Amino acid sequence: MGYANVRHYVGGMADWVESGGSVERVESAADSGGPVRNIQAHPPRRLSWANWLDILVNWPLEKLVGFWLAIIIFFGFIYWAAGIGMGWGLLANNTLVKPDLEGLGTAIYFSFVTALSIGYGDVIPLGPLRILAVTEGIAGLLIFGCVISKLVSRRQEELTEEIHRTTFEDRLDRVRTNLHLVFSDLEALDEFNTDHSALTGHVLQRFESSVRVFIGELKTIHDLLYRTRLLPEEDAMESLLANLALCLTFLTELLNSQPQRSQGLTAGLRTIGSLANEICGECVPQTYAPALKQWMDQIQDLAKKIA
Amino acid sequence: MKQTAPHLETSGHKQTVSREEILSRVQDPAFALVNVMPKEAFESGHIPHSVNLPVAEIETKARQIFPHVAREITVYCAGPT
Repeated sequence: MGYANVRHYVGGMADWVESGGSVERVESAADSGGPVRNIQAHPPRRLSWANWLDILVNWPLEKLVGFWLAIIIFFGFIYWAAGIGMGWGLLANNTLVKPDLEGLGTAIYFSFVTALSIGYGDVIPLGPLRILAVTEGIAGLLIFGCVISKLVSRRQEELTEEIHRTTFEDRLDRVRTNLHLVFSDLEALDEFNTDHSALTGHVLQRFESSVRVFIGELKTIHDLLYRTRLLPEEDAMESLLANLALCLTFLTELLNSQPQRSQGLTAGLRTIGSLANEICGECVPQTYAPALKQWMDQIQDLAKKIA
Repeated sequence: MKQTAPHLETSGHKQTVSREEILSRVQDPAFALVNVMPKEAFESGHIPHSVNLPVAEIETKARQIFPHVAREITVYCAGPT
């Protein structure tokens, strides 16, 4: 059906399940009246602490910071409540922290000092609260580590994006230059070949070489229209498409005077035909301005002539 | 169950995909994972994030699901074929 990019996962479900991949099932539940997605791990994957850490790292930064603050304040309340419930909890200045508002402040302050692993030592947990304080210290450090890694990776993503864009612009420049070269070459050949005789010798070689460069750039433009996440500006795109159409026009003219074609050339022309045939206003995934669509349609028409 | 997707195949060479690649790219919107088993088999278990396109319906429905021929598609069925 013309799909050009189909691949096969040979192992299929059997291999997937055998190597422990998760399986999704659709069950029609009569009571809820709709299909229910039931995701089951196969075999059930244990959620170890490392998995929990993975889940944490995948959280967005805001959520992570919020969670971290929530844990600190939650622990603060526990330290404070221990003072009410058991009559003892935190020790500050050699006196027990009272279960009043000031005590709550001290408890939360102690919680922050613990979670950040500062540990001034001006407030001290007593008895079992020490275990709690150590637990909080560990949790606080781990989550804070996730926050820091998030910040670092955010910067890194920005850089990657920057590199991506620069490469993209380089690529556009290359396409533009090469199309111009092909265009000049074909134009010169067309002028040279006024009597429409068959090209021979090094002229023919020159022609075939131009066609090969042209195929490369056509592929790039095809890729640009179908696969890339980045899009060139409309002006740039229009000039590229216009040049492409011009090259194709010259190519068709030159081909008319070439009844005998070498095998390589025939294969190349077939590639050009099939690639250019997929460039039209309606068949590319994104929608473009009418001017661009016109160029694309023109390219498709020319492709039909070549094929 | 021996089923392949003859209509989806590219002419001549068929490329394969590894399990690892599926795992790493299953969230990628550009990566389409297609289960070609019948609907009932699909419902009783499939790789998460895959769509169902039974072999028998490829001819009629493929264009609706994947209108663009350049789309990156990975097909799979019950087991090694």
